Amino acid sequence: MNNKIKAIQALVASAIEQARPVQIVGGDSKAFLARSITGTPLEMAGYSGIVSYEPTELYITARAGTTLTEINHALTEQGQMLAFEPPHINAKTTIGGVVATGLSGPRRPYSGSVRDYVLGIRCINGLAQDLTFGGQVMKNVAGYDLSRLMTGAYGTLGIILDVSLKVMPLPEFEMTFKQAMPVAKALSIMPGLSARGLPVSASAYDGKALFIRLSGNEKVVKEACKMLGMDEYEQGQLFWNELRDYKAAIFNSDSNVWRISIPVNATLDLKNEPFFIEWGGGLYWLNSKRPAQEIFAMASAAGGSAMLFRGVNQEQDRFHPLSKGLLSLHQGLKNAFDPHGILNPGKMYATL
Amino acid sequence: MCSGNCHKTVIYAGCHLSQMSIKYKTMNFSKFNEFLPTQAVLLSEESRRVYECDALSAHRVMPGCVLLPDSIEQVQAIMSYCHSNDIPVVARGAGTGLSGGAMPHAEGVLLSLAKFNKIIGIDPIQKTATVQPGVRNLAISEAVKTHGLYYAPDPSSQIACTIGGNVAENSGGVHCLKYGLTVHNIMQLKIVTIEGEILTIGSHAFDSAGYDLLALLTGSEGMLGVVVEVTVKLTPKPAFSRVLLATFDDIEKAGNAVAAIIAEGIIPAGLEMMDQAGVRAVEDFVHAGYPTDAAAILLCEMDGTQDEVETGLAEVEELLIRYGASEVRVAHNDAESDLFWAGRKAAFPAAGRVAPDYYCMDGTIPRKNIAEVLSGINALSDKYQLDVINVFHAGDGNLHPLILYDVAIPGELARTEAFGSDILKLCIAMGGTITGEHGVGIEKINEMCIQFNENELKQFHAVKAAFDAKGLLNPGKAVPTLNRCAEFGAMHVHAGKDKFPDLERY
Repeated sequence: MNNKIKAIQALVASAIEQARPVQIVGGDSKAFLARSITGTPLEMAGYSGIVSYEPTELYITARAGTTLTEINHALTEQGQMLAFEPPHINAKTTIGGVVATGLSGPRRPYSGSVRDYVLGIRCINGLAQDLTFGGQVMKNVAGYDLSRLMTGAYGTLGIILDVSLKVMPLPEFEMTFKQAMPVAKALSIMPGLSARGLPVSASAYDGKALFIRLSGNEKVVKEACKMLGMDEYEQGQLFWNELRDYKAAIFNSDSNVWRISIPVNATLDLKNEPFFIEWGGGLYWLNSKRPAQEIFAMASAAGGSAMLFRGVNQEQDRFHPLSKGLLSLHQGLKNAFDPHGILNPGKMYATL
Repeated sequence: MCSGNCHKTVIYAGCHLSQMSIKYKTMNFSKFNEFLPTQAVLLSEESRRVYECDALSAHRVMPGCVLLPDSIEQVQAIMSYCHSNDIPVVARGAGTGLSGGAMPHAEGVLLSLAKFNKIIGIDPIQKTATVQPGVRNLAISEAVKTHGLYYAPDPSSQIACTIGGNVAENSGGVHCLKYGLTVHNIMQLKIVTIEGEILTIGSHAFDSAGYDLLALLTGSEGMLGVVVEVTVKLTPKPAFSRVLLATFDDIEKAGNAVAAIIAEGIIPAGLEMMDQAGVRAVEDFVHAGYPTDAAAILLCEMDGTQDEVETGLAEVEELLIRYGASEVRVAHNDAESDLFWAGRKAAFPAAGRVAPDYYCMDGTIPRKNIAEVLSGINALSDKYQLDVINVFHAGDGNLHPLILYDVAIPGELARTEAFGSDILKLCIAMGGTITGEHGVGIEKINEMCIQFNENELKQFHAVKAAFDAKGLLNPGKAVPTLNRCAEFGAMHVHAGKDKFPDLERY
């Protein structure tokens, strides 16, 4: 694997020399995401394998090209999981891509996001330097938290080589419940669920019915389901997996698919367009033909942000506009990691 | 806080300034009176004296001046003035930090956020509280108690330490394994940059646009900006919690028992270990009923519903006995739980009772190496002829050896610092880190040269420059200059032959 790292460094070095950007590719299962860019492809799929996994230390270290399938398999064998429930789009989805995009699944509001579980990263920065930040231990405050900064940076700050993630035990028992209700009622229930002390691990509203998943000790889950007063939904696991992996109907639309993150008790004017709500009311999926600026403005007004998840027009800006002050800070950081602007330039924002 | 046991200054500002490329002008700090209220500007020597150290009291510097603003606009004006005039700024909360992160700058401003002590809003549905940075950690939990919520991170100083300081240090506590560190429990920050600009980082939503600056700012030790508002995430208070106390005649058995609990898929709310020296010091002090003949004790707290806790504790008890615990006592009620905790929480003051001074270390190691690290620390204790007490957040591998010494004995402080440095090197060698939750500050700045290589340190400096190109925020802390590492490295080449171990390092 050292040869592969040297080859990646050489590719970056020649990219600097030729002033030609590098486009980092994992399993390419999320190619529809973010802005489309050009550049010499750097295929990470060959740089794969679990480096170390110690169930009793609650961490796994894997190379960026390791498939999520391989990681989930190793973890399940030991009764553990990635608690942020990352989208498993297809068999080629890699852990590097999971961390670079920073997208978390249905469990996110109750267990935390990708970056919450990132313990350390080894990466190549835009100067072709091989750097390691963080580590494999749970608590580590030595130096700035650059491994979490790189999570969700879409490869614009560094090429992720190895990543260490905290892992958690699989829940002992899970049940899903479903009840048809109007959106207003669902929104009055969803945000307060976990404050009631219920062992909620996912919640969603598909436009017709509210879905709630409870996880934990069997006795506790069964006790809690009495409090909930909803019917058990047998197809629960399939439902959550389709939502997690972007296979639900809302993701297949001939209009733009928007992903809008807002405070759980904020509201959006949905204008009768198809929508789907999850994360206790904190995440909206919306099929909309409205102009991007209108969606961004609506999300901002609600105290949140929007992302054009699947765009009809590939060239369009995809991420929520940053304030002038924040954008200049982002540019400063981009310059700190990648002064020649060769790592996935323009993937997130045109000037990063 | 500079407590009564502050002692002599061992490292003077000049030592650190020699590392900096910037030459600071000799300032007339009375200029601040022109745009700040009189009571917000402390210039006299006696009023500045209170601020000359944080809880790492061995390192003291008289600040050039102390400013106590009470509005964000005042902070912006101060920062903008300092930026224009190249004046260093060191932000300070309650001053309870253990790594010297708030040690002042002799030619700079010590910016106290003490007057920012208001709770701005509580949103029980969002489960957030928005507070000013000078609000005490415990005050947040007290304020939201009526909603059945609390703020989970609980550093031992939670009665005094402020949320702004917690953000700067990414503070932990005894419940991190289950509930996370500060970084996992905050949603949004408002910061003032060195240019005086106000920025909102993060949001009240789960995701925010752009890079994860919230994670970057958390634990950045006042090097990137000054936090003027924090929105924290609140956690529903568990209905029930209970502690058990297990006794071991061998520390390795205790370490294996910890791994066994985790392997079983149990994540306790708290999992703490203490060695024999710790148990004895504590028992003499608070009479928590700890067995003084034990080689080590474990405390394990479970929380949740009563059923869940009782089932969980029974499972843990069975495991602990299987892994060689000589005795397991489950607290029968809250009072007994509190008593078991009282011992652990009294570890630091107990150390203060058995020795005139103690020095608290903060390495993290993989849990499996606990026995090896503790025997390494005992060997170092013999080498340096200094006693040590070991308390340990066993659940997340965070070790707090307390080195006992007497500053009045010439050379003992230097020996203590060398001992501490060796412990940190041992933590790195074991695959761990030099600081789990106290921060680097000024204390562990040299050991940063061992944990990170030159390019990694350069990357840190580049990140710092993106926020603070002039290097005015908390200069000389958290990330060492390459020159400093070169000097430190040179010192270590000769360490084995050094005939003058008592010489102060610089």
